[in-house]
Amino acid sequence: MLTNFLMIKHYLLGVLLAGGLQTGFAEGPARINLSDPNLVIVGDSVIPIPLEIFASLDKLGAQNWAAQVEKRDIVLDTNRSRTAMLFGLIVSDGFIAVQAEDKEGVKRMGREVLRLASSLGVASSVEEHANSIITHAGRGDWAVVRKELDRTRQTVVDQMKELRDEELVDLVSLGGWLGGTEALASVLKENYTTEGSDLLNQIDLVKQLNSDLNSLPKRARRGKLFSQVAQTLTHLESLMISDETGAISEGKVIEISLSTRSLVNAIYES
Amino acid sequence: MKADSSSLIVLKRLLSSVLAATAICSVSAQESKESGAPFVVEQIDPIKLSAQRAALSDLTGENPFILRESGWTGIIKPGEARLVQIQLFRRNDYQFWLAMGDRKAEMNLNIYDGEGQKIDNEAITYDEPNVVSTRLKPELTGVYYVRISLKTTIEQPQKWSMIYGYR
Repeated sequence: MLTNFLMIKHYLLGVLLAGGLQTGFAEGPARINLSDPNLVIVGDSVIPIPLEIFASLDKLGAQNWAAQVEKRDIVLDTNRSRTAMLFGLIVSDGFIAVQAEDKEGVKRMGREVLRLASSLGVASSVEEHANSIITHAGRGDWAVVRKELDRTRQTVVDQMKELRDEELVDLVSLGGWLGGTEALASVLKENYTTEGSDLLNQIDLVKQLNSDLNSLPKRARRGKLFSQVAQTLTHLESLMISDETGAISEGKVIEISLSTRSLVNAIYES
Repeated sequence: MKADSSSLIVLKRLLSSVLAATAICSVSAQESKESGAPFVVEQIDPIKLSAQRAALSDLTGENPFILRESGWTGIIKPGEARLVQIQLFRRNDYQFWLAMGDRKAEMNLNIYDGEGQKIDNEAITYDEPNVVSTRLKPELTGVYYVRISLKTTIEQPQKWSMIYGYR
């Protein structure tokens, strides 16, 4: 009787706290045929941010994210496609520094974000977020910094769409994904577990990124660097194949780490 | 409910943007009525705001969801469905919030695995009938499909907006 009363009390409290929230089972077909040509798949792809992936890995134990924070010099040139990828990489570096709770690393990244946004012609819309990142990193308000980083990335993407720079949007996403994947593979390489390795099971995402890259106009992916980007994505497609348990072998994790590292270096140094 | 100061700052900012946007919508609607001009809201999506309002209670507490800035939007006719493809990671929890424009709109929100098999999930409903939510803890890392459908209880096509969070 008392147990029932407590259960009802908890339920009512939950309903009140959630502002009238109720639950029930959702309707919908038990199975969908994904090859049905009549299916309407929404075109906008949302790429996971590194923190989504890091959050999962941290549930297996504390990781050494601080070892992934690097200070790199960025030399900009007139290649806007490269700058867009660098922007994505810098934001992912910011996420890594947040995970490592590295105040100086985040502040440095906040300043670089502003510099790269200026080069891409979207500084005014990013300035407020970049300043907020620097201020809140100094205070150690990591939840705010994390939010502002995601907001910065989204603001730049929205601004580019408005300016009809849509080809650069895919390259920002690609750079962001690459930076996060490099850090993830590096951490897994140093501390391999079969459980953690499943986070690299991203073959459909890599296929999507590769397809997005190939659909860009040729002028946006000209040069040696972009040949390397395409080759690396194709190589990653062959590596991110898991076994029946979802795990990816240690050998493949090492290869993913080396490939992504090599590409990140090429983007920074080209 | 217990919330740390950072969570409160994030929530405060989200609330501020919701309130500010609501104010802008009201002003715009008022101006629209007076001038007879089309109702235009610059940069602000009131349907996305409905989804964000529904999410607010899940963004605080001891184990809050972290809301992503990205989302999806579109228009759907009654009786139709849309699929959103998304990469999810094992060990995380995910929550999706879907909103549509008309309060009479009734919709379903389901999640399928990479093979097209439905995953049993609970529909979370709110006081506003045109908002629904669902949660998922993926058993495997990989690609999933979120299926959005609009029931034929309404005749007009609906603009929809979906957001998600993780923890």
